[in-house]
Amino acid sequence: MTPATAATSGLDAATTELLTGSLREVLAHSPDGSALGDALAELGWDDVLADDQPGATTLLFTEHGRALATSRVLDTVLLTELAPSLPPPGPGPRVPFYPRGTAAPVAPDAPLAGLLLGGLDDVAEVVVPVAFDGRVALSLVPADLLAAVTRPAAGFDPASPWLLVDGPVAGLARYAVPEDASRAWDRAVALGRLAVAAEIIGVCAAALQLAVEHTSARVQYSRQIATFQSVRHRLSESHVAIESARSLLVVAWAALAHPDSGVGAARLAKLRAGWAQAEVTRHALQVCGAMGLSLEHPLHRHVSRAAALDALLGGHRALTAQLGAELLTDAELDPIVEI
Amino acid sequence: MTGPTGAPAAAAHPAGPADSPRAGGPLAEDLDAYRLAVRGHLATEPAFKTFRARRYPSTEARMADHARLERLLYDAGWNRYGWPPAAGGLGGDERHRAVLYDELAAAGLPVPGQHMLLETLGPPIVRFAPALAAAYLPAYLRGEEWWGQGFSEPEAGSDLASLRCRARRDGDTYVVTGQKLWTSHGATATRLVCLVRTGTPESRHRTLSMIMIDVDTPGVTIRPIAMANGDNELAEVFFDDVVVPASRLIGAEGQGWAVAMYLLQFERAMYAWLSAAEALRRLRELRGQLTTRAAAGQELPADAAPRLGEAYAHLVALRARSADTVRRLAAGNTVGPEASVDKVLLAGAEICLHDLARDLLGDEFLFTAQTTPGTGDDTDDVAQWRTDWWFSRSATILGGSAEVQRTILADHVLGLPKEAKP
Repeated sequence: MTPATAATSGLDAATTELLTGSLREVLAHSPDGSALGDALAELGWDDVLADDQPGATTLLFTEHGRALATSRVLDTVLLTELAPSLPPPGPGPRVPFYPRGTAAPVAPDAPLAGLLLGGLDDVAEVVVPVAFDGRVALSLVPADLLAAVTRPAAGFDPASPWLLVDGPVAGLARYAVPEDASRAWDRAVALGRLAVAAEIIGVCAAALQLAVEHTSARVQYSRQIATFQSVRHRLSESHVAIESARSLLVVAWAALAHPDSGVGAARLAKLRAGWAQAEVTRHALQVCGAMGLSLEHPLHRHVSRAAALDALLGGHRALTAQLGAELLTDAELDPIVEI
Repeated sequence: MTGPTGAPAAAAHPAGPADSPRAGGPLAEDLDAYRLAVRGHLATEPAFKTFRARRYPSTEARMADHARLERLLYDAGWNRYGWPPAAGGLGGDERHRAVLYDELAAAGLPVPGQHMLLETLGPPIVRFAPALAAAYLPAYLRGEEWWGQGFSEPEAGSDLASLRCRARRDGDTYVVTGQKLWTSHGATATRLVCLVRTGTPESRHRTLSMIMIDVDTPGVTIRPIAMANGDNELAEVFFDDVVVPASRLIGAEGQGWAVAMYLLQFERAMYAWLSAAEALRRLRELRGQLTTRAAAGQELPADAAPRLGEAYAHLVALRARSADTVRRLAAGNTVGPEASVDKVLLAGAEICLHDLARDLLGDEFLFTAQTTPGTGDDTDDVAQWRTDWWFSRSATILGGSAEVQRTILADHVLGLPKEAKP
């Protein structure tokens, strides 16, 4: 892998501020993301993306996370990357399938286990990565075949529109596109991981902000509780966790700019964002006290969304174990970052 | 083992080398060319081989051997980049130094122990005492001398601004009286860079001055402090009416706190990067030791893989953050309180790595006595991890404790209401 040497950002500060404001407004009024597509078109998002994919993607998904939005904009990130490996789409929309665990392609004969970011009602085909003889093929599975083995994924996160896919689907091989899509799938997962990492960072930043506001306002023992050292230090550690995830995200985008590298860096960025959400939500829940556990306080929504996003495209614990196992065999300890 | 601790890192003066414009050949201008040149030389020059995975029975032995490594790097020119020609350097900036540390680590070589304090003491001397830098820095780069950092005192640890070691002006000299404690490399250094009081203690940080004192000056007494690992990494230093020329001041009288804050930027940026480079080399060595054991049929603990992955991820995250800070410093930006993030990450990575070594080496770490120090057998490797484990515990103490860093972030980055005063 070619080490990343510098961050790239084509968006200047003024443009970033403008776009951030617009996105916040849209997402605040349309948390389910239904207005997001039109709003992005209006902002000329394709041009923004073409100009600065890392900056634009990070901005969009950070705001998406901050707003706890539930759109399927992540589907677009993966599908755009997979499109060259697929035949032109038919009349109905396509969505990607998100394998559980470490997001490895599924075995052709095993039951499907994974997630979809929304319902299948308007969907024609689901793009499922299948492992054949060490290669990845993309199967275009008719949505109604999958519908039989899906159920709502709104467990820990009641606001989630996701679907859990869990059960046998016959004939995955039959719908496979013959082309070897190994590289396309790896890149799609890598891009998806960077988007989700940004989204987790957005959720965490919002959670930390809630915790800072709560502890600065809440008085006990005649003092704001944010004047207690133990509370202050938990909030500082949350900040460190978020900032370290941010730094790695920038590095991973730079690494992915090279056509043949960056997949490992993207996994690390996702891993560290997932780790950050564990830290931040643990600390935020503690310092917000019983209020943070109540339904009326918004913190719980951040906690459950962050946990769900961590599980998407590889949870931090699963990725850490996978990475460690590779390092114990023969993988190089890639420095990833250079000056 | 000390550092200014009671305040956020903030420069009183813009960062930047003292000489401008820079002299130097093409490598001073072209960082990638420098990188490749260093890499090629370290890989092919046989003289470096003996420094790979070498273990030492004591700090003194390690420093003496590392001085030889420094000399090799000096003769090839490599550790002169990043320093101004007026101070024995060949030009370039902080990034050259950072690249050197990375390339040494990638080649399986240690960063000379001397460079740890060179990174914190060198820049303020170049910036605030160019004559001293011209006189002594070249010898430092050649491995002929190195300096200790005399900041902490028995009653001034985290609360550095309460220090009491006094320097009284007497004509062209200062007369220094008092004590320093936890002085890094105090037992082997040629000179000590000390923060001393040139006014009343009540004035706290406003009447501090920084001054360079030769250890062989009459009245200086140094007592090494054996750390828990047996190494004399630190010392306590007594000053009994020690006469020091006023020309040894670093910055003006009373400017000591500002100089210390300037210094702190390099501690946060360069020292963190150097340490991260070293830690990655050590993680690579640990991985090698573990796979060797696994290949010999020894069973590794069940959580070996996830913990190895965790340590590596932590290190790469630190590198990502630190690289950005180093670049900002090299670009002349002030590295302020936000650099406490780097410091917290560094401490976390160091603790994670060394706990990993302790736990995965298990009984060997805890119970295997070293047979003959320095013979190069496998027990040397385990003994080195034990030594390093103790040193790693200082990561949350030296240069501003873990508590101080979190307080800086709470005050100056998160903007939380201030902690209640007792």
